[in-house]
Amino acid sequence: MRKRFIALAAVLAVGLAGCSGGDSKDQKQPLGQAKAGVLRVLAGSELADMQPILDEAAKATGVQVKFTFSGTLEGAQTVLDGKADSAYDAIWFSSNRYLTLLPGGAKKLGTQTKIMSSPVVLGLPNSVLQQLGWQDGKVTWSQIAEAAGQHRFSYGMTDPSASNSGFSALVGVAAALAGSGSALTPDQITAITPQLKQFFAAQTLSAGSSGWLSDAFQKRASGADPGPKVDGLINYESVLLEMKGLTVIHPSDGVVTADYPLTLLASANSDARDSFRRLTDHLRTPDVQRRIMETTHRRPIAPQVPLAKEFTDASPVELPFPGTEQAVDTLVSAYFDKIRRPSRTVYVLDTSGSMEGDRLAALKAALSGLTGVDSSLVGRYRQFHAREQVTLLPFSTGPAAPVTMTVDPDNRQPALDQIKQTADGLVADGDTAIFTSLEKAYQILEQQSDTDPDRFTSIVLMTDGENTAGAGLDDFKSFVGTVPDRLKGTPVFPVLFGEGSQDDMNAIATATGGKVFDGRSQSLADVFKDIRGYQ
Amino acid sequence: MKRLISIGLAVVLVTGVALAVIFGSGGGTDSAPLTTVRGVIGSEKLAFFSDQRVKDAFARHGLDVQVDPAGSRQMAIQTDLSRYDFAFPSSSPAADRIRHDHGNAHTYAPFSSPMAVATFAPIVDLLTKAGVVHKGAGDYDVLDIAKYMELTANGTRWDQLPGNTSYPVRKNILITTTDPRDSNSAAMYLSIASYVANGFSVVNTQQQEATILPKVTPLFTNQGYTQNSSDAPFEDYLSAGIGRNPMVLVYEAQYADRLVRDDGSIKPDMRLLYLSPTVYSKHTLVALKGPGDQVGQLLNSDPELSKLAATFGFRTQDPKYFTQVVSEHKLPLPTSLVDTVDPPSFETLERLLDAVGKQYGA
Repeated sequence: MRKRFIALAAVLAVGLAGCSGGDSKDQKQPLGQAKAGVLRVLAGSELADMQPILDEAAKATGVQVKFTFSGTLEGAQTVLDGKADSAYDAIWFSSNRYLTLLPGGAKKLGTQTKIMSSPVVLGLPNSVLQQLGWQDGKVTWSQIAEAAGQHRFSYGMTDPSASNSGFSALVGVAAALAGSGSALTPDQITAITPQLKQFFAAQTLSAGSSGWLSDAFQKRASGADPGPKVDGLINYESVLLEMKGLTVIHPSDGVVTADYPLTLLASANSDARDSFRRLTDHLRTPDVQRRIMETTHRRPIAPQVPLAKEFTDASPVELPFPGTEQAVDTLVSAYFDKIRRPSRTVYVLDTSGSMEGDRLAALKAALSGLTGVDSSLVGRYRQFHAREQVTLLPFSTGPAAPVTMTVDPDNRQPALDQIKQTADGLVADGDTAIFTSLEKAYQILEQQSDTDPDRFTSIVLMTDGENTAGAGLDDFKSFVGTVPDRLKGTPVFPVLFGEGSQDDMNAIATATGGKVFDGRSQSLADVFKDIRGYQ
Repeated sequence: MKRLISIGLAVVLVTGVALAVIFGSGGGTDSAPLTTVRGVIGSEKLAFFSDQRVKDAFARHGLDVQVDPAGSRQMAIQTDLSRYDFAFPSSSPAADRIRHDHGNAHTYAPFSSPMAVATFAPIVDLLTKAGVVHKGAGDYDVLDIAKYMELTANGTRWDQLPGNTSYPVRKNILITTTDPRDSNSAAMYLSIASYVANGFSVVNTQQQEATILPKVTPLFTNQGYTQNSSDAPFEDYLSAGIGRNPMVLVYEAQYADRLVRDDGSIKPDMRLLYLSPTVYSKHTLVALKGPGDQVGQLLNSDPELSKLAATFGFRTQDPKYFTQVVSEHKLPLPTSLVDTVDPPSFETLERLLDAVGKQYGA
């Protein structure tokens, strides 16, 4: 009796295709207007690896995904501000948990369909696991924290305010160390702060994205980057499986898992809802799920698909994720102000004549933005934190006198005010001595680290022109080889701006294990906030 | 006050036949254009409405039913219902609220499903030893909610259960639910817990509310973050196994549906625990606009749709459809359950949910 209607259904399905009604279509947006068959998706950058799967999906379903990549916090802010409402149809990040905890966040979201998952775990080489006596893989976060506090291994992890893998790791470790068995509450965080400090004492590499973190790790391992080798990584299981030489450890007290919900925005029109449904149905078919598992090393959500052998723990214990914004904010603030190794940064700032006017104003605004005047989510987490040491080194024909400020945990305002005043007092005049000034920055760091070595150290270089005075690129390259060992891993983060030389900036980043940021396609203020994730 | 209920005693067969005659005759043909009907539904009915056989059955009556899933409470409070012809939340309290806000629209309760817990064999063994799980009237396992609440009141962790070598995990013994602020299944769970905390009686005074809240709130807040729709934790249960969530609150229908499909998603160590007491989630369709009413009538009366609903694990208004599916697929499910209770009134439930929700600080 059922079969009789299948033919009829097929006829109806054909007849129905393309007859869904369209809502308003006149928004002017960077990604283009809402369009039938196109799903505009604001997404985490790690989802770029889904492109081949999505290309196949487009052929099978007629639904094409247009990605715009964004950091998790930036994405959450876009959604909360309502800026995503007409510009996108859906969002796709590794998790919606934090966004849902924020006031007004849940209401912005429509249907959430999980596509795959990957826990945030620890990866270490077998040799290190043997030294630590962890060959059997049965380790708890408390044991890991203890060994980390004794510096028995080192690891890299992303910044919790910049990337979900770091955020999940922080939440997971905190929940495990609290050990209460239920969700973390704000009042437990003080009690576990000493153990968390131990845990983060072994972190020697930080990054604003999990992709860059793995690259930097591998470059250091191969010697392509000058910094000291790092033993392991805390990252998505999928990323660790992709890399060679690391064994994945699923701590027995639990993990926090990214579940990648493809999420329709509540504001999406009926075309988008239709596209969303077709796409998610397709992505969850067993064949596609198998492909996702094989190509991205993420776990399938379809229960019919058996797990591949590479997932050594078929069902890792999941730690409870905090249920309130307050618990998360208390934890993340404690991380920056009390727990993590504090950072030390020299800002090498071009104040040559060509910076006169708008450019200098943009630089002043960018620095001020890090002193607590930016109240957005991103601004809040990327401002200068307690204990942090900041040196402003303006330069033109040569380096000017550096000004160093350390943010006092008990009284932050004076240092923040001084940073702002120093920035406001910058005057543009003279030539551009990039490399001589960079060398000066290393000398400052050498002095500072002499008595206070245990900090994340980096240099930010902002210049709008080519080098016109002092040492040249080759001089700088040989200089970098002569710095003391403790400064060898110090990355320089050059910002491309104005007529700055892309080649020189790339060469500086490569020689120091840094990364070039583009201050021409986005505002200097945004770039300075992005760089914070790497400091 | 416990009552014994045999499923689906309120049979409206006569109405059903009458409507079948009226609407059955107007069935669609190959060429007739279909009327699109838009509905917002509790997510656990999405598979039913997406099924081609269900679409075909509606098409025979000239309808193309398009649905969006949403949390039932979200549907009652947040969702803009103006673009929908019907709302189909998963419980009578949510439907009451929607009906109340829409000029006493027609409602239909074509099927229901008792709340249950999806879990794993080692967990059933552990909880049986701990005296929290016992055998029901047939060959099914029952979780004693009163004993469960005693156990969780002290924040007992799995690794603190004596002799536990099968799941020695440093996590509280807690049933994973959805977010009580916007999902129906969590509200149903709160109904059960509040009944037990109130000395086995339905909460109906504000004084009782105040007394029971400290006992029931931690069942939710200790979980931390919860998801907003019941298919999400069940999907996690199916795909991620015992480590992710050892016990997940589900509608019986979600589990039964997977058993019927027999597609390998229910693994040999998976078990369904019934709750004592339990509540039935009465899936209630509220007809908001013209064609929405027809969908409600068809679901109530069309034998093919009733049969299909039973295939998706729902207990149908006429119990014979569900019983047939159980025997046809040899499902390990009881055809009738004892010890079911009513949820509190919509107002009481709302106040309780709001009070629990306030603990999340947003």
